[in-house]
Amino acid sequence: MLTDATLTFVALGAIFAYSFYAVLVAGQLSLGQAGFASLAAFTAASLTPKPSEIGEIPALLLAIVIGMAVGSAAAVVLGLPTMHLRGVFLAIATLAFAEAVRILILNQEWTGGAQGMSVPKVLTPGIAWVVLALVAYWFARMGRSRYGRALEAIREDELAARAMGIDVGRHRLMAFVTAGAVAGLYGVLWAYYVRLIAPEDFGFTAAIDGLVTAVVGGSTMFVGPLLGSGFQTLIPEIQRALGVEAGWIRPFVASALLLVIILFLPGGLASLVRRRVRLPKKHSPTGERALRTRVHPGRGEVVASLEGLSKEYGGVHAVEKVDLELRSGEVVGLIGPNGAGKTTLVNMISGLLHPTSGHATVLGTKVGRVPVHRVAQAGVSRTFQHSKLFNRLSALENVLVGGHLVSRPTFLRRLLWLPSARRDELAALDHAARCLERVGLTDLASSRASSLSYGDQRRLEIARALASDPSLLILDEPAAGMNHVEANRLSDLIGSLAADGLTILLIEHNVGMVLSTCDRIVVLNFGKVIASGTPDEVAANPTVIEAYLGSAEAESRPTDRTEGSHA
Amino acid sequence: MQQLLNGVFIGSIYALFAIGFTLVFGILDRLNLAHPSVFAVSAFVGIELVAEGGLSVWVTLPILLVVGAVLGLVIERVAFRPLKNRPDAHFAGLISSIALAGMFIALLQWRYGPDTRRFPAGSFPETPIQFAGVSVTVLQVSILLISIALMVGLTWLVARSRLGRGMRAIAENPTAARVLGVNVDRVTAVTFAISSALGAVAGALYAMNVNSAQLGMGAAIELKGLAVIIVGGMGSLPGALIGGLALGLAEVFAVQYIGSSWRDLIAFGLLFLILLVRPQGLFGARKVREV
Repeated sequence: MLTDATLTFVALGAIFAYSFYAVLVAGQLSLGQAGFASLAAFTAASLTPKPSEIGEIPALLLAIVIGMAVGSAAAVVLGLPTMHLRGVFLAIATLAFAEAVRILILNQEWTGGAQGMSVPKVLTPGIAWVVLALVAYWFARMGRSRYGRALEAIREDELAARAMGIDVGRHRLMAFVTAGAVAGLYGVLWAYYVRLIAPEDFGFTAAIDGLVTAVVGGSTMFVGPLLGSGFQTLIPEIQRALGVEAGWIRPFVASALLLVIILFLPGGLASLVRRRVRLPKKHSPTGERALRTRVHPGRGEVVASLEGLSKEYGGVHAVEKVDLELRSGEVVGLIGPNGAGKTTLVNMISGLLHPTSGHATVLGTKVGRVPVHRVAQAGVSRTFQHSKLFNRLSALENVLVGGHLVSRPTFLRRLLWLPSARRDELAALDHAARCLERVGLTDLASSRASSLSYGDQRRLEIARALASDPSLLILDEPAAGMNHVEANRLSDLIGSLAADGLTILLIEHNVGMVLSTCDRIVVLNFGKVIASGTPDEVAANPTVIEAYLGSAEAESRPTDRTEGSHA
Repeated sequence: MQQLLNGVFIGSIYALFAIGFTLVFGILDRLNLAHPSVFAVSAFVGIELVAEGGLSVWVTLPILLVVGAVLGLVIERVAFRPLKNRPDAHFAGLISSIALAGMFIALLQWRYGPDTRRFPAGSFPETPIQFAGVSVTVLQVSILLISIALMVGLTWLVARSRLGRGMRAIAENPTAARVLGVNVDRVTAVTFAISSALGAVAGALYAMNVNSAQLGMGAAIELKGLAVIIVGGMGSLPGALIGGLALGLAEVFAVQYIGSSWRDLIAFGLLFLILLVRPQGLFGARKVREV
């Protein structure tokens, strides 16, 4: 059953599946890998001198270099215009590319058209498995690097990843180019094994097979593609060994097993392997030195200044001509009835929304002109009104992603096992653990974010936001869903962060908490600032009372039921 | 003129196939890759009913409509419903529907073998009708009329009926629809049934048009169907109709002017272009991203 051919096909299938894994890990569904492999195989096979002239191994190595270069170049060319597509749209666009490549190659003279091109057989099972080991090693080392975590974060929640300072476009393109290189590698190995390559080898069916292999194996763990390929290749072999000969039974059983796996093993075969959760052992004194340090503005300096900032949606002014200045070390509360425009305002400050008119300068960046991750790089960090955690990652991993901006890239050094990479990873881990400790989640570090209670999720968001060592921290309704003991603890935490010099902008409906926590309060209603000042001033302001409790007459007749004018 | 008509005939089949594809995507946001296998199953079953059962082709079409609907219910129950609450439902649904399609095709191979099958001679009227210098067959005209009737019926159903209102509510927000008393599971199942019924009729009409059925015929039209629904706009019914006709015409004229070997490149080139400049398609609405 385990003949040389079977072993080689397991390795080839796994390498091809890795080219799908490379993008699936970042949440991208691409089927263009078949096209990359095809271009690489035909180009490399026609450019490389014959093995009889320069020797088998040099010929194969040269072909691999050419193939990977062609594969990555094709990925750049396809990736640049398509990276803004998501989900099935990306899948179909890349599939169209692969089909176009197939038709192109079918109609060329130099490729031999439909007859195909004959290529000397050079690949042995040994070489195939060595190459597979290298590819698997690449992805294994990627998993726990800063780069690998950033890709996973993009898969789980792209918007939150941007807000953590990850350049999503660049990361997605890098993942895509990796896929192109691995697919090119597969194309070349395939060509130098099967003797005759035809455009049909890299058609729609091949693309679907590669995707299925990666998903069956599991697209969140590096062993997935290997397991998937073993499964996909061995099932027909096992059936043959059992004497099942009828032509239809084999595809039927293979499809049925595929269905069972996808329905009952959501993470693919790899979910049978336990994911090791790494926890920091103890605080090492070297910790913070290995992290990047930020320069925070000095106490009292202007952190953010908004001038006439407005946001309009088809004639509705969500935010209208807001002027606001935040100074370093302040805790500013932003309150107002539902729909007052609070979240729209902070979305503009953090760069998620572009203002319709007006100017805003936050930590030296003109927001509205630059992408979200730039605003984050400048030192703005935030939590979201509706939790946007990376659900399938552990609490600790969520915070590690939060520390993206202050930790150093480790992937390439991890490939070489450099001690400095290990040191940097430990420092990042330490830093994350400290952030978790600060919000009181140390005990839950290894729990999946999605399994945490609502209140714990809110606190995890704060820890994640803190991890980037921000100058300005924006908290969007952090106390929602907390009881008052928890809210008091949160209030203490905010106080201690301010004491460290952080500037905090707090949106909250719990007015009592805002009054007791903030230095200054800004009240919005219908998109406009209706009051601002110290907590005492705001609490006594009649306009604010009216906005919150209804008209003044209603208050003067205490027997009436007070109707809140919650717009 | 003759070419124009040929393009319209083949295009109406593409449209009928694609409209079933896009119905499920538009309402449930899932791509059902078992749809092409229904297309193939229906062609083979249709040929058997005519050849072995001795039925007229006009009687087999309503039967195939039912066969398709039943397959649609099976697809929904087996490949989609178990996944609906999973975070990776998009990927998983693609794979599970591919798996189910593989099982359908394997069963076809068991029943009918791997060879091409044809309708027995004289199963449908092939007398050409001369009209204003062009010749069409009764069969071709029937294909066009049946396709249009089904598509008009579907559009009416979605736009006007109580069921259609449920479908549109689910497309907007499944949770809200459930809270408001829409039986989401049932409407979802019915959507799959209608989608597959249309795919089945398209398969039978296609097999009549070219008078052959192969195991791979679903895979061959799958890519075209995807191209049509992208060009027309994911989830847009009129878009699928226009897209299907446009593809049919483009193919016929491409064969005439630049040769059959480059025919498919036109479709994919067009598809690629649309995705780059107008990802929502010609008739699709751009979904607003929630922050």
